[in-house]
Amino acid sequence: MPTIQARGLTKRFGAEVLAVDHLDFDAVPGGVTGFLGPNGAGKTTTLRMLLGLVTPTSGSVLIDGHHYRDLPNPTLRVGAVLEASGFHPARTARNHLRLIATVAGIPFSRVDECLDLVGLSEAGKRAVGGFSMGMRQRLELARALLGKPDILVLDEPANGLDPQGIAWLRDFLRWYAADGTEKGNDGRIVIVSSHLLSEAQLTVDDVVVLAAGRLAAQGKLKDLLAGTKRTVRVRTPDADRLVEALRRANLPAAMKDGYVICEGGTPEALGPIMVENRIEVHEMVSSTESLESLFFALTSGEGMHPGYAAGLMGDYREVVDGPSPGPAPSPAPPPSPGPAPSPGPAPSPPDGGPMGRPR
Amino acid sequence: MIRLLNAEIRKLWTIWSTYVLFGIVVLIDVAFGLGLAFAPGGRRGGSAGIVPHGSSQWFTNVFSVLDNSRLLALVLGALIITGEYRHKTVTPTFLAEPRRGRVVTAKLGIGFGGGALLGALTMLTGLVLGLVLVALKVHSCRGLGGVSQGMSQAMCTAQHGVYYVANSHDMWHDWSRIAPGVVLGTGLFAIYGVGLGALLKNQIVAIVAGLIFTLVVEAIVGAIWPRIGEYLPGQAATALEDAARTTFGGGNVRLLPWWGGAIMLLVYGVALAFVGTLTTLRSDVT
Repeated sequence: MPTIQARGLTKRFGAEVLAVDHLDFDAVPGGVTGFLGPNGAGKTTTLRMLLGLVTPTSGSVLIDGHHYRDLPNPTLRVGAVLEASGFHPARTARNHLRLIATVAGIPFSRVDECLDLVGLSEAGKRAVGGFSMGMRQRLELARALLGKPDILVLDEPANGLDPQGIAWLRDFLRWYAADGTEKGNDGRIVIVSSHLLSEAQLTVDDVVVLAAGRLAAQGKLKDLLAGTKRTVRVRTPDADRLVEALRRANLPAAMKDGYVICEGGTPEALGPIMVENRIEVHEMVSSTESLESLFFALTSGEGMHPGYAAGLMGDYREVVDGPSPGPAPSPAPPPSPGPAPSPGPAPSPPDGGPMGRPR
Repeated sequence: MIRLLNAEIRKLWTIWSTYVLFGIVVLIDVAFGLGLAFAPGGRRGGSAGIVPHGSSQWFTNVFSVLDNSRLLALVLGALIITGEYRHKTVTPTFLAEPRRGRVVTAKLGIGFGGGALLGALTMLTGLVLGLVLVALKVHSCRGLGGVSQGMSQAMCTAQHGVYYVANSHDMWHDWSRIAPGVVLGTGLFAIYGVGLGALLKNQIVAIVAGLIFTLVVEAIVGAIWPRIGEYLPGQAATALEDAARTTFGGGNVRLLPWWGGAIMLLVYGVALAFVGTLTTLRSDVT
């Protein structure tokens, strides 16, 4: 089972910039791990330290307990799609991949396979200088996949892709991470960094939220969102009576823009109250807080949900150590280094199309 | 390491700029060779570098100028490593082989091969040029009033001059004396270029620094302190050429023995690359 472990990972650029500050995180196979954070949060630096391109000032990030530089043939273990990774403009896409295949001892037939996979079979004979941003991004992905790695790292992979490309990539990454899990295998580690939260929300299973180089939150995305407030919005001609009735039921509500807004309420809680008080309803909408607002709360340091980071770390460690049926988040047990004996955390079905937005 | 070497070879021949560089070498060779074959004048011994026309060493003029292609070998060596940084292909390169010292070692090896190939191409161009000159029976006359091309034998002897016709015997003789030094020199000079590239990383800076040092700094140092000058890369490369020692100017230029020159060049290239690997190339790739 592939593992990635960062402990005390720190990177300082010069005396001024502390890009990554004592970061601890784990990535587990079988699902897509999202690295989320605003620009400058340290996402790219962290991924480049993982890949041995940037040397940590202190701490470490290890792949199966090894530094990337000590992997004997890293192309076969780790594939990486990075921003600002280069191509010689005069070299054809296929030759670009063949270079890497040569170093890694991968047969050239695999180069054509990968070009085919990302839809660049025809363009493969052309010089990369004439490629669009999206084509370059696809070529990067093809390069990352050459060695059939069980760890895939992608830095802002959606950049430059058109909507179809993004949708394809989303399905592909989810499939790639979960591939084999239906047979009881561990699946693969897929790490995606992104600042596009709506896209990440559809793709990732686990999240590592970074803010100013520090870990702001880590855990299952669905747990993160489950802890967020639900809000019910009601349009009614009897607004004042509804607010009053809700207050009596201990559900604080307020009028806003002609709607009654009840934070922390659910339709199931409000429905009976409205029937009981014979309140006419024209519209009722239930919503959960979006990843965006959660994200702002986590990364701005303003502490809208101060308990998240700690609580979710607890959840997450449980998952790392093997699924626990306990329904309530409990304090984190210390992470045990031994492999989990159970067949890993249950992933979402490998073929189950794009997840809908959690409602 | 074999795979890395293969990949480095592939890197060179999958971009057209390599072919352009080799093409430039051929063009320069032809231009310089012809220029010296037909240059009016030609000095009478003395100052190093030029052999008088109308002598049996006439071909030495034509061929020895070809050693200038080592400057392009220096450029080639620098390109091999700085091109990766310029086009940011260094990221995929270091992802596939994170042990950077091995990458640099492969580049030193390919630098030598590429440079030597460039030297071989140069000498091949020279050979073709020489054969053409022989076939055309190019001749010159060193008479009392100087040198002139194309003067008839009768006129030349009437002026009591030395009449010389290009012939294949002289051509082969001079070519075979010069060729090994040029090929070895370009190969080692490319290693020197790789070392400069590894240390300086920036393409323009590495090339300009290498050319200025070779053409300007070395000339000045060599003129003021010949004992130091003979150990500098350019003079070390010149020392590889047997012809330079026996033909040009006698004792005017201090030169190391040929193997000494080869060792000095190798030391420059490897030392620069080693320092570069420990300093510049260890830095973060962002």
